[in-house]
Amino acid sequence: MLVFDHVSKSFGDLRAVDDLSFEVEAGEVFGLLGPNGAGKTTAINMAVGLLEPDEGVVRFADEAFDRDPRDAENRRSLGLAPQSIALYEQIGGADNLRFFGRLHGLRGSDLEERVVACLDFADLTDVGKKVVSKYSGGMKRRLNLAVAIIHDPELVLLDEPTVGVDPQSRNAIFERVEQLRDAGKQVVYTTHYMEEAQRLCDRVAIIDRGRLMALDTVPALIEVHGGPGNLVVRTGDSESRHETTDPLGTLAELQARQAVDHFQYLPPDLETVFLNLTGRALRD
Amino acid sequence: MNKIVAMAAKDIHILFRDKLGFFFTVFFPLMMAIFFGAMFAGLSRGPANIPIALVDQDRTAASERFIERLGQASGLAVEQIPGEEALEQVRRGRTAVLVTLTPGFGAALDNPFVTTPEVEMTVDPTQFAVAGMVRGVLLEAAGAELQDLMSDPARLGAANSQNSLFFESLPPSDARDQMLTFLDLSPRVSSLIDEMGLGAATGGNQGFFGPPLEIEQTEVQAERPGPTNSYATSFAQAMLWTLIGGSVSFSMSIAIERSRGTLMRLLVAPITARHLLAAKGLACLGATLFTSSALITLGITVFDVRPTSYPLLALALLCGSICFCGIMMALSVIGGTEQAAAGIGWGLSLPLSMLGGGMVPLFLMPEWMQRLANISPMKWTLMAYEGAIWRGFTLNEMLLPCTVLVAIGVVAFTLGARRLRWDTG
Repeated sequence: MLVFDHVSKSFGDLRAVDDLSFEVEAGEVFGLLGPNGAGKTTAINMAVGLLEPDEGVVRFADEAFDRDPRDAENRRSLGLAPQSIALYEQIGGADNLRFFGRLHGLRGSDLEERVVACLDFADLTDVGKKVVSKYSGGMKRRLNLAVAIIHDPELVLLDEPTVGVDPQSRNAIFERVEQLRDAGKQVVYTTHYMEEAQRLCDRVAIIDRGRLMALDTVPALIEVHGGPGNLVVRTGDSESRHETTDPLGTLAELQARQAVDHFQYLPPDLETVFLNLTGRALRD
Repeated sequence: MNKIVAMAAKDIHILFRDKLGFFFTVFFPLMMAIFFGAMFAGLSRGPANIPIALVDQDRTAASERFIERLGQASGLAVEQIPGEEALEQVRRGRTAVLVTLTPGFGAALDNPFVTTPEVEMTVDPTQFAVAGMVRGVLLEAAGAELQDLMSDPARLGAANSQNSLFFESLPPSDARDQMLTFLDLSPRVSSLIDEMGLGAATGGNQGFFGPPLEIEQTEVQAERPGPTNSYATSFAQAMLWTLIGGSVSFSMSIAIERSRGTLMRLLVAPITARHLLAAKGLACLGATLFTSSALITLGITVFDVRPTSYPLLALALLCGSICFCGIMMALSVIGGTEQAAAGIGWGLSLPLSMLGGGMVPLFLMPEWMQRLANISPMKWTLMAYEGAIWRGFTLNEMLLPCTVLVAIGVVAFTLGARRLRWDTG
């Protein structure tokens, strides 16, 4: 279990993470959402041991003991798929898997079994020997994910794993993430795509300016922070939008005044929650 | 047209906003201009004097006068050394030329009408350009001696008296009589030329006789260790460039790892930063050792390069690679991006190579620049390689360049490793 316990981190005067606390359970996809500069990357870097918290504790907790991710040995239990395609493009996909597998201590038949399994996981078995530079963007993304799990870690951190891929590849990645959850892994998933988080994440933490703004399941977040939905009504050539928590009542009122040709109810979603909590001002 | 101008203006704007690009566009060429200007024209003291060893077996007043004249000649730094030691200096590459004034040289210099003065010139076969320059200076000095002789009636008269006695002792003939008449007239030639106002126009009496000096040139390689052919020296330089290329490439690799995200992946793996540094160092060491060894193997098998000592060659290869692995680590610190690492790597390597004799022989540089060359690892690398390949260094002689190389490598690697940016962004 990944635990952030009142963690803070500053860079000079900038408080990048401020008293952040959460836990990620086994078999859970945990969404970490926030606008640019919210502190997601700093949190991820602390989770993988690249940064040391100024205050609080980041640890991997299990039944036996707590482990500090800054200890290299403890990092065997985590896998990271960075936002960039962090692969060696001059060598084959299978060789990338072998290299990172060896770094995690895999050898011999164990390594080969994992390479085969990960190629299969990424649906790259037929092109495992092909150099990565020849792969499509979607294939590279899937391999990027597969490398993160070559050593079968308990915790997998996926940093915007669907950037720049087509809908088919995105859907394939969603399926892989769901497989990881079904296998009992802890998955931390950062993304700017709210529909992805809404589909995949069991719980979502929204952070802004380093602080945790909300943390709950998606339906609970929508219920608490989503606000009213929108009833879109078209009459003749005109279209109007009405915020409402009672769409049927509102529709009846509108029909009493004039004929409604067409209507659509847009319930609040995770994006509404996100904008309500973090505001609509641009972040640079 | 406006669009073209606007795009060009944008590119120029971007170039000058890029500090590295600006450096290589403006300051690097300026550095090159200053470097070559200093090297070929001299900053304050002019070009360096070429060191030559000189052995005076004649030991006469005339030979001492000639040596003094050579010492005053621009372009030479004459050092009188005992014969065997002087030869050893050429063999070791510490001096390019040995000039020996053999017995009888002084007598011939004072009386060139019967015998042309002769010197022996022993040259390092790789330094033919230097030998040519020394030959020119020797001929110039001998010509000046002859001019002085012809301009000095007293000295010329003394020589002619001696020669007249010699020719008078020969059986009578027309040729003998003409020679005696010439000897009688020759002391007056200078004054007659001066009286006619032709001194400057004729350049004095130069050219009145044949070549003022006979130079017998021998190469040291025939008797002692030396390069079997020109490849012996060119392969040493090629091996140096292999090290330079390898160190720049590996310094770029760290920046590439950072920019492509694989550095983050490596750092997240269950290994320490020390492991990573060791791996980079080992890879650089292995690659440079392999490429330099492959090059010299090719030189040995195909181009008839014959190292004087294989164990010392192995030592030189190892020390050169250690040095450049350290340089690799230091370069990787300076360049944050792969473009910057490459630019800075080559930007530093090229001047250091020039300074270290990797492009232009050291002897062509001013003395201050030759002293400055000691800071260039390229100089020590070449010295170690050449010492093992053809200069016939002993283990003791190899210790100096190898110690310097290892010291540079360890210091540069340590400094680089300490300052290496581990941030992954």
